[in-house]
Amino acid sequence: MSAPTPEHWTARLQRFDRRWLFLLMGLAIVVPLIFPLGLPIKPGAMTKAAFYAVENLKPGDVVLVSIDLDPAATPELEPYYRSVILQLKRKGVKLLVVTTWYQAPPLVERWIREAIEQPLAPPGTPDYDGLPDRAYKKNVDYVYLGFREGKAAFIANMGADLRKTFDGHAADGTPFDDIPMMQGIKQLKDLPLIVMVSGGAPGAKEYVQYVQTRYNLHMVAACTAVSITDLTPYVQTGQLEGLVGGLAAAAEYEALVGKKGSATAGADVLNIGYLVVILAIIAGNVIFFFGRAHARRRGIS
Amino acid sequence: MSTLPFIDVVGAWLGIFLTFAILSFLYKDNPFYKFAEHLFVGVSIGYVITLQYQDTIEPSLIAHLSDQWWKIFPVALVAMMLIKAVSRRWAWLGRFPLAFAIALYAGLQINAVTQAELGAQIKFATRTLASPKIDLNQASPAELASVPGMTPAIAKELVAERTAKPFTSIDDALSRPSLSPMERADLGEKRGHLVGIDARASVGAGEQDWFGVVSNVLLLLGLLTSLLYFYFSVAHTGVIGRVSRVGVWVLMIGFGASFGFTVQGRIALAIGRAQDIMGRTIDPSDADRIQGPIAALVSVVIIVAGIVFWELRNRRNAGATPADTAK
Repeated sequence: MSAPTPEHWTARLQRFDRRWLFLLMGLAIVVPLIFPLGLPIKPGAMTKAAFYAVENLKPGDVVLVSIDLDPAATPELEPYYRSVILQLKRKGVKLLVVTTWYQAPPLVERWIREAIEQPLAPPGTPDYDGLPDRAYKKNVDYVYLGFREGKAAFIANMGADLRKTFDGHAADGTPFDDIPMMQGIKQLKDLPLIVMVSGGAPGAKEYVQYVQTRYNLHMVAACTAVSITDLTPYVQTGQLEGLVGGLAAAAEYEALVGKKGSATAGADVLNIGYLVVILAIIAGNVIFFFGRAHARRRGIS
Repeated sequence: MSTLPFIDVVGAWLGIFLTFAILSFLYKDNPFYKFAEHLFVGVSIGYVITLQYQDTIEPSLIAHLSDQWWKIFPVALVAMMLIKAVSRRWAWLGRFPLAFAIALYAGLQINAVTQAELGAQIKFATRTLASPKIDLNQASPAELASVPGMTPAIAKELVAERTAKPFTSIDDALSRPSLSPMERADLGEKRGHLVGIDARASVGAGEQDWFGVVSNVLLLLGLLTSLLYFYFSVAHTGVIGRVSRVGVWVLMIGFGASFGFTVQGRIALAIGRAQDIMGRTIDPSDADRIQGPIAALVSVVIIVAGIVFWELRNRRNAGATPADTAK
């Protein structure tokens, strides 16, 4: 009686318990957070374009900041939001804040309290050598427009008549006519720039489709990583002036603004996480192809 | 000193426990995961209903009806027309409000997509394949800022320099005194004949960025081959088959990029949660009060102990006879 053929190493590895990979990924995320590597961050072209579009604004300009997301998108988008708000505030740009997502208002209102109504980089902020910002006052330096139902129709309405869309008043009921910074603003084309913090639909894509092309508006957007391939064509055509896609680009934006935040800390982790994924893909393919070659040599179909 | 209320500390601990309860699914489906999952679904539905009422129904319906209550009748009529289950005989009435909604959004969408997608993208795709270099002596500040390594500030400095004395070469432009040593060093790093400053800019008109030309040709070929893959009026055999096969590769590269970005997004979610647990996203004094890592340790111990107990009980039950179980 012949001895059983020993199992090929690829067959043994095919049965590898994938939970080890989950553990490895967990370690790849936690360890660099505890022991940061400080890998260099070099801003890409789309991120720089978004940064300079904001940088070219003048003090006193009014921009629309559309925050269209839910809590699931905050790890990727909150770092950009904080960076761009610091950049806008230190330039003295006034803000109109709006959201097209019904889930967003509680989150947006907290972000307004934390980042707009309080300074993000007061004088003496450690590791920051840019201009300081200041606390913005409601209906003086910023206006919270709130949420309106309608998604794409709501965006199209804002393009046509901003005042009518919000029944002529801010979210707190203050009439636009009583707010000095609202003077001369009737529709979106009266604004020099629209900044979109976009977690999905409706968001940057709908703004481009429904108002950018029609009114030739200037827009920059930040989006989650999964939306980058959807929105990049709009940057190529100039419909978006810049795009900050995902956590990696948010870290680049933090580097440009000069104030490190959670995205910079996360960039190290992303690199290590990617390394684990790439190595897992390579290992999986090596095992598969070697296993197939072995099976063919032995005449197993 | 943190002023974080005790209830927020409890909330943070609960959040950390639920995070690990959800992650316990990576081991296998278990009671902790089931508890967190059911809690999440229930809370989400309650949250959505509350927000929909606060943000939509209250301001858009109730507030409008408060002083003009008679408006409820047309609204109620349209709503009733949509409830087909009320009467089969009158179900056809539901087509009218549905037709209105569909027509409204179709009208908006067709116009928007035609302008923003077809119009703008076709215009971009049909541009010339030529990719002329940016002339440092003639380009606008915005064009100069698009050269690798250049910023609007550097572009402004270069415009002032060339007005005083036109550039004779790229080396001359990058050695002008108004550039700071740091700017000069940054620009020096971006030199290069393939994709760097030398590839994208020149002194004098008429030179081509050959890497840009190749990129444009690749873009055009990718577009045409991808379009051909979706052209079903001819059989995909012979030359057409081979060309459409190239289109498939182009699409696969696109899907690969999407997958890569999706991985990035998922890792970013995990990073965000890890940062929250470690107290990196809140005020340090609040983080000291919450003690996230201790909460994480306690949660892991509870969940691991619970799963071990659950597994032992399952094995004991699996080993027991039906008669034993009945006892």
